Amino acid sequence: MATNVVAIDTRSKSRVGQVLALIPGILLLAAIGLAAKWIEQSINGYTKAHHIAFPNIEYVLWAIVIGLIIGNLIKIPAIFQAGIDTYDFWLKAGIVLLGSRFVLADIRKLTGISLLLVFIEIGGSLLLMTALGKAFGLRPKLINLLAIGSSVCGVSAIIAAKGAIDADDEDSSFAIAAILALGAISLFAFPAIGSALHMSNNAYGLWAGLAVDNTAEATAAGALFSDAAGKVAVLTKTCRNAMIGFVVLGYAIYWTRKGQAQAIQNKAAFLWTKFPKFVLGFLVISAVVSLGAFNADQVKSLANLSRWAFLLTFAGVGLKTNFRALSRQGVKPFVVGIVGEVLIAVLTLGLVVGANRLWTL
Amino acid sequence: MADESVGVKTQADKAGSWLTLDVWAVLLAFVLALLVWTGILQHVPW
Repeated sequence: MATNVVAIDTRSKSRVGQVLALIPGILLLAAIGLAAKWIEQSINGYTKAHHIAFPNIEYVLWAIVIGLIIGNLIKIPAIFQAGIDTYDFWLKAGIVLLGSRFVLADIRKLTGISLLLVFIEIGGSLLLMTALGKAFGLRPKLINLLAIGSSVCGVSAIIAAKGAIDADDEDSSFAIAAILALGAISLFAFPAIGSALHMSNNAYGLWAGLAVDNTAEATAAGALFSDAAGKVAVLTKTCRNAMIGFVVLGYAIYWTRKGQAQAIQNKAAFLWTKFPKFVLGFLVISAVVSLGAFNADQVKSLANLSRWAFLLTFAGVGLKTNFRALSRQGVKPFVVGIVGEVLIAVLTLGLVVGANRLWTL
Repeated sequence: MADESVGVKTQADKAGSWLTLDVWAVLLAFVLALLVWTGILQHVPW
């Protein structure tokens, strides 16, 4: 029994140590985020005071740019790494809280359209990436990982699929690097294209949510266009995220039949394990707000908490995008990724423009 | 004794296996929503 007490005590001490280890990195994320917010406000204040016409550059862009500069020019001490890695955690908490800004009726309308487009996007992307991967002679499992990453939800989908189809580490890091590099490019390309095409907030948000693969980058690409577009991008991306289990299960069954992956005993349990739980959290918060449990001031507080969580996320996106590390991963997967992603972006843009004509988004 | 400690570890691992990053994020968001709803957290600025 004494052994148990010692074991539990050691475990709880190590848990406390793990939590404390997160603090420096989280403080760095907060410092970058606050600096970004300060730059946005300072520029706005200066241009207004001097009557200078200057476009509002959101804190999102500054947070990413500061993060990119620090992450690529300075070797970040190891003490910050664990905390910086929490950016994905803040993203998910932010998405759940963002549910407060959607009433269920909005979700029903947008999700209906989004889901239809998500199904078309997933099918089209899987076929396209598979064909491109074969044409470029990539390894079969690397093709699958790239297809899953570009059709469903970026890095998390690749990690989920890696275990399910027994892909090796090298293939996974190739696929993750390609998706992250393309996500970094889309952060700057999508808002520019959206503005050039004079897209509406809903249409642009739908496009960013459909075409940008990683959830953090899709959220940022949406928010860089406008706050309203960011909301729609998150909702659409959440619809894609919800499909992760089904797509990964399909590939796992395929490789099991080929004798190159372990059989899945309980498919329902597998789907539940892979299902992103933050999607449910998002719906619960939205349902509670729709029922009128929160007053207007409280809803505003929830929305602001979501913004603070995203502030940490965007700083982390910049810090974690290391161009030197990405360039070391080889050329071929990037070429397949770039060609595939450009085609997917064009395909989804066509889908959104078509949907806009039918339903006026 | 050894068996017992293994048992404790297994139970702890099982309990930990569903506490993924997603679940922690949802829990944090729910706790914050609860604090706002009860009025402990008021007027969060931006």
